[in-house]
Amino acid sequence: MIRLCALAFAAASIIAQYLIWFHAPVEESMGVVQKIFYTHMPLAWWSTVSFFVNFVASILYLAKRRDAYSRLAGAAAELGVLFSGLALITGMCWARPIWNVWWTWDPRLTTTLVMWFVYAAYLLLRASDVGGQRQDTVLAVLGVVAFLDVPLVFISARYWRSIHPSVLGSQGGGMEPEMWLAVLANLVAMGLFWLALLAFRTRQLGTGAAVTALMRHGSIRN
Amino acid sequence: MLKAALAIARKDLSLALSGAQGLVQTVLLGLLLIFIMSLSREPGELSPPLAAAAVFWLATAFGQVLVFNFLYGLEEAEGARLGLLLSPAPAQAVWLGKALSGWVLLFCCQMVFAPAAVAFLGQTVAGSPLTGLAVVAAVDWGLCALGSLLGALSVGKSSRESLLTVILFPLLVPALLAGIRLLETVISGRGLEAVGAWTGTVVAFDAVFTAAALVLFPFLYTGEE
Repeated sequence: MIRLCALAFAAASIIAQYLIWFHAPVEESMGVVQKIFYTHMPLAWWSTVSFFVNFVASILYLAKRRDAYSRLAGAAAELGVLFSGLALITGMCWARPIWNVWWTWDPRLTTTLVMWFVYAAYLLLRASDVGGQRQDTVLAVLGVVAFLDVPLVFISARYWRSIHPSVLGSQGGGMEPEMWLAVLANLVAMGLFWLALLAFRTRQLGTGAAVTALMRHGSIRN
Repeated sequence: MLKAALAIARKDLSLALSGAQGLVQTVLLGLLLIFIMSLSREPGELSPPLAAAAVFWLATAFGQVLVFNFLYGLEEAEGARLGLLLSPAPAQAVWLGKALSGWVLLFCCQMVFAPAAVAFLGQTVAGSPLTGLAVVAAVDWGLCALGSLLGALSVGKSSRESLLTVILFPLLVPALLAGIRLLETVISGRGLEAVGAWTGTVVAFDAVFTAAALVLFPFLYTGEE
């Protein structure tokens, strides 16, 4: 499955890059900078999916106590932090020439940043020995609590102030059909990349756990 | 459950107030933060109400971490956690008891932070102080519901108290934003049109994390080390 996803990603990303640079027109007011959007949006979208997978896997771990769910939650959190971090950086690269600032108070920006902080802390906790024997349970509880916080952070940040362009909310956001095609192609390509990474990292964590168990078993025998 | 929770809260409060160690540390840290933040303004200059409210809630957030580390540390010192778990009360009673005692302790600390913020940050309160107390109490419940849930992270041999700050602060953002805006309205008397929306945010935060804590706390508070 990992190989299949990786190969499909390679093919889809070639098509997606072609669509960005040769098919989609250059946006009139923003110019070539607007093309960052085709990478930025899929990163943000798949980071949200990662956090949701972490949430579901955490609930499943609490319900069934199977280590595989804990590893899936961990892998999803790692991808979420990576993708949301890259979404923030690409967003800042876009905001500087367009808004004339690197950072501004906006619900989507703020929510992404807060979630990045929360899941970075989650990974810090995962890397430490906090919780001892019950570390997986502690992490699962945190995974649930973190995702419950997402809508509250978004609502509170929206009340504070908003200037983010609603590209997807305002009847197409004024994008040409060629631009939409490029967006969809990049979304699919990034999704395949995300799926390959998630499957690979989950399997890697499983192998790591098996090796650790084998070493412990060996030391007990010796 | 309520009876057991009240008994735990009473026990925690009498321990906290008799030694006063936990409370004094929290009050001192909060006062220090307010004093340091007051250095950001020129002598004679007044801080904006929004900044004063933000400093007040910053001191509260740090104080909350100390309060819950202290409250959960009480059982760890004598290995009394197992005793609490073996008692016929449900685990949720421990969460509720700690949340209630933390709520009272935090509120007491804030009664020191509030005049300090007014004095150090040069504020005059235009709104009703009673409304201010209601705002503080409502936001505090959300902070304490989550603080009491995640405070259970600091139990066991492999606890890292410093990590609690990193985990807790980003999760508290919605409650803190609402607290800052509502307190700004109380101080300045402006922004009344947004009070409904912010009150809704506080109620939603309180409800979501009270419900989540009731479900999740038994997973965290166990006899495992």
